[in-house]
Order: sequence, then C-alpha cells, then structure tokens
Amino acid sequence: MPSIDDVTNAPDELSDDEADDLLEEADLVQDMMGEMCPYPQVEAKKGLKKLESGDLLVQETDHVPCTENVPQAVGDDADARVWRSGDATYRIYLRKR
Amino acid sequence: MVPTLLIAAIVGLALGVFLQKGRFCFVNAFRDFFAYKDSRVTKGVLAATLLTMVFWGIAYQFGYYQGFWTPEWGLTGLVGGFIFGVGMTYAGGCASGTLYRAGEGYLQFWLTLLFMGVGYAAFTVAFPTLESAYFEPLTFGDGVSLFAVTSIPASLLALAIAGGGVLVYATLLGRSATTATPEERSNAASVQLTVLLAPIAGLRQFARGTIEYVRGLARAWRDPLAASKRPWDPRTAALGITGAAVLWFTQVSIVGVTGPEARWTGYLLSQAGVEAESYEYWGSVLFQGQGVDVTTDMVMIGFVIVGAFLAAFWSGDFSVRVPKRRRLPNAVGGGLLMGAGSRLAPGCNIGNIYSGIAELSVHSFIAAVGIVAGVYVMTHWIYREVGCAI
Repeated sequence: MPSIDDVTNAPDELSDDEADDLLEEADLVQDMMGEMCPYPQVEAKKGLKKLESGDLLVQETDHVPCTENVPQAVGDDADARVWRSGDATYRIYLRKR
Repeated sequence: MVPTLLIAAIVGLALGVFLQKGRFCFVNAFRDFFAYKDSRVTKGVLAATLLTMVFWGIAYQFGYYQGFWTPEWGLTGLVGGFIFGVGMTYAGGCASGTLYRAGEGYLQFWLTLLFMGVGYAAFTVAFPTLESAYFEPLTFGDGVSLFAVTSIPASLLALAIAGGGVLVYATLLGRSATTATPEERSNAASVQLTVLLAPIAGLRQFARGTIEYVRGLARAWRDPLAASKRPWDPRTAALGITGAAVLWFTQVSIVGVTGPEARWTGYLLSQAGVEAESYEYWGSVLFQGQGVDVTTDMVMIGFVIVGAFLAAFWSGDFSVRVPKRRRLPNAVGGGLLMGAGSRLAPGCNIGNIYSGIAELSVHSFIAAVGIVAGVYVMTHWIYREVGCAI
C-alpha cells in the first residue's frame, strides 16, 4: 500500500566488514560504475531472474540515486542492503527471496 | 545590478543544494512511477509545484512579482514536450537533473549539456523555417496565466487548486488503503461507505505522514552536522526549492533552465567569434534585442552547478565519474533531443512542469502532458525486457 510515510525508506546500511564478507559470497556481481538510472534497475531485475532463491546479487555503483532506486525497483523480489564507502562509491546487496 | 547578481547567486546555490540533497529528479519522478509505481520523488515534485503555486499566487495578488512566462499555446507544447520527455528519459536526467549532476562530477552530464547546446544551436539556425512551418500552424492562442484572467483572487485560486490536488491525492491514498482489505467489503453498502470515506481516510493518513515527517525533521535538527551529510527527504528539497523560487519570483522572474542555457550557448558562441546576434532567435527572441551578454538568469543556473558541487562534496557524494562507452549515445542523443525539444515546446521540465504549472500558464499544462507522455513511451522502451507496472 503506497503511503506518504514511505518517502524515505533507504535500505539498511552494512558496515565495512559485513560488506566485504558478503561480497565474497556473492553469486553475481554487476559492475554498474559509470551507469545511469534506469539501467542498473533493469540489470538488477534481469540478474535476479537468473538467480535462485537465497542467492546474493551485488551491484557496484557510483550513482547515488541507485542506492534508493534499485531496491525500490526490485521490490519484493529481494531483500536489499546498501554499503556506502563515504567516497562516492556504493554497493547494493540484493538477496533473492 | 550587484544586488540582483547576489540574489542570482543565493537562489542558484540554494537550488543546487536542495536538488542534490533531495535527489530531486523529474525523470525519476515519472519514470519510476511508470516502471514500478514508485511515487516517492513524484510526491516531492507535486509538493514543490503546489507549494510554489500557493506562494506565487499570494505574491502575484499583492504585486510582489516581476512577471510571468507565458508562451503562446497550441500543439507545439505537446510535440516539443514529447521530444523533450523522450530525450530526458534517454539521457537519464532532466534539465535540472543534468545541471546538478554535472556539479556532482558526472562527465556524462557535461557531455549531455554540450549536446543540449548543439540542440539549441541547431534550432536557432533552423528557426526562420520552423517559424512558418511549425510554430505558425501549430499555435492556436496567446499565452496566458489563469492567475491573470480570472476574477478570483490569485491566492484563493492557488489555494483552491492546491487543496483540490491534496484532496484527490488523499482520495487515492484512502482508496488504496480500503481496497487492500477486500474481506472487509462484505456487502454493497460497505463498499459505498468506504468510497465515501476514502478522502477522509486518506486525509488522516496524509496528516499522519506529515506529522511523522515533521518529527523526523525535528530529530534531524538534533544533530544537524550528521543530518547535513545524509540524503534528504524529497519533501525537504521541495520546501527549500519553494523558498528559493519565491525569492526569485519576487525579485527576478519565474525559474527556468533551458532558456538561460540557450542564452549561454549563444553567448559562448559569440565569444568564440560567431555573430550570435545576427541570428533571429538569439538576437531578437532570447536576448530581446538587448545584445548578447550574460543575463541574471544565466548567472543563476551557473550557481546551481556550484551549489550541487558544494552539497555533493560535503556529503561525500562528489567524484569525477567516467561514463561507460556504451552510454555515450544516451548523452549525445538525449542531449540533442532535450535541447531541440525544449526549444520546440518551448520550455523544459522546470519551465513547464514546475514553474509553468505553479504560474498556471495554459501553454505549460499542454507541454507538461507532452513531457510526461514522452517519459511514458521511453520508459516502456527502456524497460521492454523486464516490463513496466503501468
């Protein structure tokens, strides 16, 4: 149900250590550096189609809006978490449901 | 001249900061709504437009304003707006988005800006032909703002429209809340009741959401330094943009982006030795026979890039981002379509959707429909392999 309350629902953030550990177990890593919206959204949806339930998809991006838009775009297909390097690069972790 | 330039700097910086912090992107607002019904940014855009409409209405009624921008209306808005909408979706950034992302260090959007400039220049060269072949047959009436033609006081008119907008939104909100629980709708009478109660349920939800938002804002104030580095709610951006737009409206004009950009193109080409003034579009339309020189609005949009840079740098979001080679067609093609489309309409997402609707310009209602239709078509094309929700 859409509500004005959900205007900001950025996904939970990962610590540096968690982010590195999870990256090692990723089943699919997509390099989205230099890519604009909506291509990372489209690629995330395509990537998730190839994966099994419980698999982990990681996108590496330098496009800030993706950290909010990609998790929104995949919706209920995956649980999303984000890692911010603090230096304009980000990783989006999508665990397929 | 100095105070006006100071205002241009303040307004430009403020717009840059709020656009960057709120990720206030018109492509995102419509594209993501069509693609997967994500309306977070759409709400921010609507809030900014309606709030600005109310404050501009009040300023206009009491005479604190410098003038409207009301191009002649007709199908030009629909055609040009459509081309612009396709262009901004393909480029991945609207006219305002391209500016603030240029400030965030995206080389791709500097390239988009460059090709928007090529679009403006190509349009200028073709202008004499376009005037007889395109503008004359497709233009039906003089440009007008509804504020100027009704006998209703402007502030009341703006409040009524904004109130109507909120009510429609609340009804949709209330309806989606009631349709989410079909088991409760056991008979026809209760269905009718929930339909009648939808606006009330929606308004209560709207009020709850607003209170929640204000609480969040108050919480953020407890640690302003940390909050200033976090991404901001699009509604916060909407409030800030409204403030800047009201200052601009009372002191200079309505907020526009592609008009000043087209002037920048003429000015820069004239510095490079092109006789920009001899072209009818630059000489007599854009610079209105006053000579090709830097104008206040050109300074203002320059400061949008500076403001976005400062905000991004402060937040750790600034970096020089090199685009992938396969995205170059997006910057080139999208930029050309945005440049040409914004002249054919005339006006971009800011001039027509944000400012144009806030000043109730008849032309802008038509152009806004064209732009949104362009985004709709292009979103379906980009999402063709994974499907759109709407």
